[in-house]
Amino acid sequence: MRKKLKKPEVLAPAGTLEKLRTAIHYGADAVYIGGNAYGLRSRAGNFTYEEMQDGVRFAKENQAHVYVAANMVAHEGDMEGAGDFFRKIRDIGIRAVIVSDPALIEICVTEAPGLPIHLSTQSSATNYETLNFWKNEGLERVVLAREVSMDEIKEIRQHTDIEIEAFIHGAMCISYSGRCTLSNHMSARDANRGGCSQSCRWKYDLFEMDLTGKRQTVFSDDADEPFSMSAVDMSMINHIPDFIENGVDSLKIEGRMKSIHYVSTVSNVYRSIVDAYCNDPHNFVFQQVWEDELWKVAQRELATGFYYGVPDEKQQLFGKRRKIPVYKFIGQVLNYDEATKIATVQQRNSFSVGDEVEFYGPEFTHVYQKINKMWDESGELIERAAHPMMTVKIEMKQPVKALDMMRKRK
Amino acid sequence: MIELIATAESLEQAEALINVGIDTLYVGEDRFGLRLPTSFSQAELKEITDLAHRNQKNVCVAMNAIMHNDRIKLVLPYMEFLQDIGVNSITVGDPGVIHLLKTNQLNLSYIYDPHTMVTSGKQVNFWAKRGAVGAVLARELTYEELTAIAAEAMVPVEVLVYGATCIHHSKRPLVTNYFNFMKVQQTDSNNLYLSEPKKPGTHYSVYEDINGTHIFNTDDINLLPYLEKMYLANIKRWKLDGIFTPGEHFVNIVSLFVKAKKALMKDNWSQSLVEQWNEQICKLHPQQRSLDEGFFLKDPDEVK
Repeated sequence: MRKKLKKPEVLAPAGTLEKLRTAIHYGADAVYIGGNAYGLRSRAGNFTYEEMQDGVRFAKENQAHVYVAANMVAHEGDMEGAGDFFRKIRDIGIRAVIVSDPALIEICVTEAPGLPIHLSTQSSATNYETLNFWKNEGLERVVLAREVSMDEIKEIRQHTDIEIEAFIHGAMCISYSGRCTLSNHMSARDANRGGCSQSCRWKYDLFEMDLTGKRQTVFSDDADEPFSMSAVDMSMINHIPDFIENGVDSLKIEGRMKSIHYVSTVSNVYRSIVDAYCNDPHNFVFQQVWEDELWKVAQRELATGFYYGVPDEKQQLFGKRRKIPVYKFIGQVLNYDEATKIATVQQRNSFSVGDEVEFYGPEFTHVYQKINKMWDESGELIERAAHPMMTVKIEMKQPVKALDMMRKRK
Repeated sequence: MIELIATAESLEQAEALINVGIDTLYVGEDRFGLRLPTSFSQAELKEITDLAHRNQKNVCVAMNAIMHNDRIKLVLPYMEFLQDIGVNSITVGDPGVIHLLKTNQLNLSYIYDPHTMVTSGKQVNFWAKRGAVGAVLARELTYEELTAIAAEAMVPVEVLVYGATCIHHSKRPLVTNYFNFMKVQQTDSNNLYLSEPKKPGTHYSVYEDINGTHIFNTDDINLLPYLEKMYLANIKRWKLDGIFTPGEHFVNIVSLFVKAKKALMKDNWSQSLVEQWNEQICKLHPQQRSLDEGFFLKDPDEVK
């Protein structure tokens, strides 16, 4: 008898209300956002209480959840008002808060009872006893460290019943999360309070030094590639069944700073894969189009991190970068008129008559065509949609839907 | 009461440290503890513990590693061994270890030490309420913050007063990966450093071990001039880390801190003594390395 598969949640990042709506529209079961305080992305768009309310309302209408990341490691004074913050977001209907600092966990437990807590990856949880510790503390879920392998996940699942969340896609710390203060020391910015300056991705000189302070470079001076600690991005696109078979509850996508182009594309792809596998695991066949789609928003090389072994040099960015095909997000469909076969589009980047463009929507729908005819707001035929956010009407060969996105190759 | 805690690289050095007057030896094995001068076998740990106890000194064993499943399985028998030989405390950075301590009701005191993470009194108290007898504070704290934490904490807090500061811990073999990329045989040197772009004078120590890659700040810590301030702020557990200060030099530096401790206890702390000791520390400190006071003198708003 085959065990019944639990369908994991697809969890997407949402830096803004628009990204929240986009992620959910494109299939995310849940999104995580930042509040105005206590988070680790001081430069990501963070939500006011009003925006949270709107976001939660939209999520509820679509059977989705909103989590709030409050994963900073607080110093004295930073915690002021945290209890009030947790109560407010609980009352707004935030489904859970993502925390790493035990001081904030305690405030949340005592001052905002009823708000579920997820342990952030920032706490580097790497074994089942750690998960059991946090389960006894009343936490609902633990986000695993990115250093945990697939075999370890399997073993962890066998030894604990707390919910498990694992990263499946996006940029990664090259250190154990939280265990790096390069930025504090080199840039006077606190990595664990949202200030990380990504010093790991800088270029360093590696040398030997003897007891008298005499230096000797390890490589000749003309060594063309300096030392660096830049990790390629993670993509587990080819291995989603492993997470599902091992009972992972939530599949997390990184990137609260990323665009709606990224959020929509990545949510769409992973939604499709999870559905395809869970609907019929025996006959599941990986579709190359899923992977091709992901590469359209990739910014770096992609790899599987620690899931299938300790990452070697190929999982770091050294030397000449492979040119990644870059697509440009150019517009979003506002509506489509069946009768006239005309789409009304809001321009997000310029495009012209003659351009080969691609429309994509939820459930992995795609329409490819060349732009033959388009008109501006006043109905004048135009050659080029050049003005930011202008409304453009485009003659379509196939139908599209409102909220579909439009991209083209750069 | 001031407690001076020092790492030991050998049984001989442990003995010398006891002789110069430390209170606690900090030792361990690298499967369980992070960034130790020497990884000791269980037999050696027993020997060191017996030695310390014969001299009425304490032993704290490093168990502050981030444990993956394969390690966490070894933790319980290891802690039972430590309990049997009677070590006085362990450091812990992984809550899984605390879970095992609790569920197995071991008679072993633990000090919470997750490297960069302990930055508030409230956090110290979270662990105190769960049995911690102390906590090692993050290095990225200013005097003002240290004072506020010490005032709030229910258990003693520990501060690094001498030695190297780890500022990056990766599970990846970052040095090996680089050598492999360069297609060059990896050097067996354990004196590797990094310098920052456009700051050729900087020298961040970097090395790999079974726990991954560790990078240390360009300046090592020396808080000897500020011991009185800390004493008055009720920060009285002082750790000295000899990972990059081998042999006798480390013992001699420790002995200067012992002198400073005695001066404070006898109320004859003076600026001229401090200057004298500090000068000696600078001479004994490895020439190729440098010293400063870390975050101690910074304004809390300087690094945000």
